Amino acid sequence: MAEAALDQAIARAATLLGGSRCAVIACLGTDVAGAEAAIAMARRIGAVFDHAASAAALAELAVMREAGWVVTSPIEARARADVVLLVGAGLVAAWPEYAVGLGLAGPPPLVPEANRRVFRLCPGEEPVPAGIVETIAGYAEQLPVMLGLLRATLAGRPVARAVPGITALAEALRAARYGVAVWSAAAIEPLAIEMVCGLVDDLNGTTRFAGLPLPGADNVNGVTQAAAWCCGFPPRTSFGRGVPEHDPWRFDATRLVESGEADAVLWISALTAASPPWTRRLPTVALSAPGTAFATPPEVAITVGRPGHDHAGVLHAPRLGALAAHPAVAASDALPTVDRVIGGIMAALPC
Amino acid sequence: MLSVLRGGRVIDPANGRDETADLCFADGRIVAGGGADVAYDITGCVVLAGGIDIHSHIAGNNVNTARLLLPELRGRDGFGPAPIAREIGRLYAAMGFTTVVEPAISPGLAVQAHLELAAIPYIDKAMLCVLGNEDYLLHLLAAGEGEAAVPDYAARMLAGSRAIGIKLINPGAAAAFKANVRRYGLDDEVPRYGTSSRRIIRALQRAVDALGIPHSVHLHCSNLGMPGNVETALATIAAAEGDRLHLAHLQFYAYGTEGPRGFSSAAPGLAEAINANRNVTADVGQVMFGQTVTISSDVLRQFNARGMAHPRKSAIMEGVGNGGGIVPYHYRRTNFFNVVQFAAGLELFLLIADPWRVFFTTDHPNGAPFTAYPDLLALLMDRDLRARWLADLPEAALAVTTLASITREYDWGEIATMTRAAPARLLGLPDRGHLAPGARADIAVYRPQADRAAMFRNAAMVFKDGVLIMRDGVAGAESAGRVLAVRPTYDAAIDRRLGSFFNETYGVPHTAFDVPAADRFETVPCRT
Repeated sequence: MAEAALDQAIARAATLLGGSRCAVIACLGTDVAGAEAAIAMARRIGAVFDHAASAAALAELAVMREAGWVVTSPIEARARADVVLLVGAGLVAAWPEYAVGLGLAGPPPLVPEANRRVFRLCPGEEPVPAGIVETIAGYAEQLPVMLGLLRATLAGRPVARAVPGITALAEALRAARYGVAVWSAAAIEPLAIEMVCGLVDDLNGTTRFAGLPLPGADNVNGVTQAAAWCCGFPPRTSFGRGVPEHDPWRFDATRLVESGEADAVLWISALTAASPPWTRRLPTVALSAPGTAFATPPEVAITVGRPGHDHAGVLHAPRLGALAAHPAVAASDALPTVDRVIGGIMAALPC
Repeated sequence: MLSVLRGGRVIDPANGRDETADLCFADGRIVAGGGADVAYDITGCVVLAGGIDIHSHIAGNNVNTARLLLPELRGRDGFGPAPIAREIGRLYAAMGFTTVVEPAISPGLAVQAHLELAAIPYIDKAMLCVLGNEDYLLHLLAAGEGEAAVPDYAARMLAGSRAIGIKLINPGAAAAFKANVRRYGLDDEVPRYGTSSRRIIRALQRAVDALGIPHSVHLHCSNLGMPGNVETALATIAAAEGDRLHLAHLQFYAYGTEGPRGFSSAAPGLAEAINANRNVTADVGQVMFGQTVTISSDVLRQFNARGMAHPRKSAIMEGVGNGGGIVPYHYRRTNFFNVVQFAAGLELFLLIADPWRVFFTTDHPNGAPFTAYPDLLALLMDRDLRARWLADLPEAALAVTTLASITREYDWGEIATMTRAAPARLLGLPDRGHLAPGARADIAVYRPQADRAAMFRNAAMVFKDGVLIMRDGVAGAESAGRVLAVRPTYDAAIDRRLGSFFNETYGVPHTAFDVPAADRFETVPCRT
């Protein structure tokens, strides 16, 4: 997009968003700078911001917020864990290289004499990393019950049904020197996450154990962190009444659009070519990655660069379990960044 | 543009000044007198350099997790014990503080911490990087490479994380906890490595001196919060063997085992030890009453403190090196232990004689949020106010302290030393903390009034780099502030060694955690 055309698009976006009464900033698949700019924008125009992967991220956050947890980082797990419990399905979807990243095929480098034992609990149909895993079969919906049986077995309480392998698993967990339980919130229900955290607590009574939550899609972990330091709340937060208010139901972008409460959308998808999932038509400004196809063209469409590809950006790195600087792999000034476009829109807003 | 503050009482202990005088500044720096384009009449006001806080948890994954863990503590004022970045900047600036150090960032989490610091407006920031529990360091010490390789390693971590100094937090304990050790003191050894906390502290003290890092090792000792832990603090002071050492939040180590509850203030003896050891500095970590959240990279202590959480929840996060733990806590005026803690902190402030070696902190938010500073300053300056507070506290608790017998009051010069001149000297910032020509025009103007806390909460005027950023608590134009960091030199061989250790152990390059360069960074020179 030529500079003049970009300026025109920014001006139209400012008119559209500046005139809205209840705008929703949605998807929010962007780097930290993009998220900070989007939240500043929400504060300025009294909008809601949400992230495409926030449902699972917020369900997991609720477990931490209500029950607390003991967790570790993926690199520490790789280095130290002599027992790894893979909980439920969805690990590949959350982190395709998880088996390599966690070094599951070899001994933990900091405890090289340990024979790393890897267990899977209720993996459903998910393929099993070859040759290194003992599996207790089952589907995700059986997880809370299975985890309950496991915790009861560990505590020496009677259990209602005998599941093959559960006693051996309980003994292996208890014998761990530093065990890690891995899950993806996108694939298991909150009750199961809470049960895993409870299991980790139980095991910490006598040995060492930690949870390892795998990150959600589209940099939701990075966006959630940025949201916390910018406004104190995760996504699904509204500035509609001047001060930030967080409500996972009320400020769900899809619900706001489908119910007709929202009157404009700022769709931000710089990481993938994702387009809005809803069918309802609303005035829309889209900042999207090259190649995004829309069912109906947005009122204003601005193609933006991909963080870590066209330009440098900070993203949550699944392998590090932390925010990290991602240099551009194919640096190009041809496409603007999300934060630059939003900065332009904010500068062009009517006072 | 030349500005002048006319008729104020200029208190500048670094330059031996306390006099009514005009103070001029131009282009962001204090200048010698002359004509002025802009004049402010501040007759009757007190003029200090901008305040410097050496220890306040204002950024990083731990602080941010506290925000996410405790949305219910935001309160009606919109900020609670862990305010958001823009409120941190506004609230500090309103009090006349212009430079704040975040004291506990693991090198692997420095990228996020620096983004948070960058989001704090108005003030300058810096951070300490946490070392002492990383397996690589423990390997070096176990292999007897303390003298040669540890300084290079420390310098590399400081450079990668863009920190101003080194923090040790219960060194060895987080590593031992991963091996299921639940109690860890100064001379306990980390399993596998056979290295004690004492050896880690000494190695990093030598490294800091070898590298010429201005700030001494900033140490959070073992046994924090435990009855009788004054013995640990005294042993740690002795362990320094005369080398410079900063003890963080000393109040949390000032406990004896006297009295009916086996818990008493040991602050008088500890203050005496500080007075006698001129190589040692300390900040207090004062407790003030109310709801707060404890945020610490002492993961063992936080794990063991989970049962005291209020509200009843916590987040413990392990990782390479220290990790961290978030445990909310409510200090109560009616709680024997909390009152002893409150008293012990004030005893340390009042019994440590040299204001150049005791620093003003609440270990925000661990003892109290930094928003409690105005009340604390007022208590230090007014023994009658202290007496009124003590009258409302349980006698049984005060009986195991000496606070009621202490009559000292801080004067303006001592306040200016403790919160301005001394921190600048400790951190190696020659153009901050004072008001001589050439210094940064970071200036706080206070209007004396009967309610000293109100005076400190909203300075009459605050200038940052010569720009008026606050007037009676009302913000002016928002500015971004700089981030101060040292860049010590080191033998590049350490990069090769770290690279191969990280690859084999963690499966990632050690450079993945480095903080990229940015305009906001300002280099603090090392001593040569």
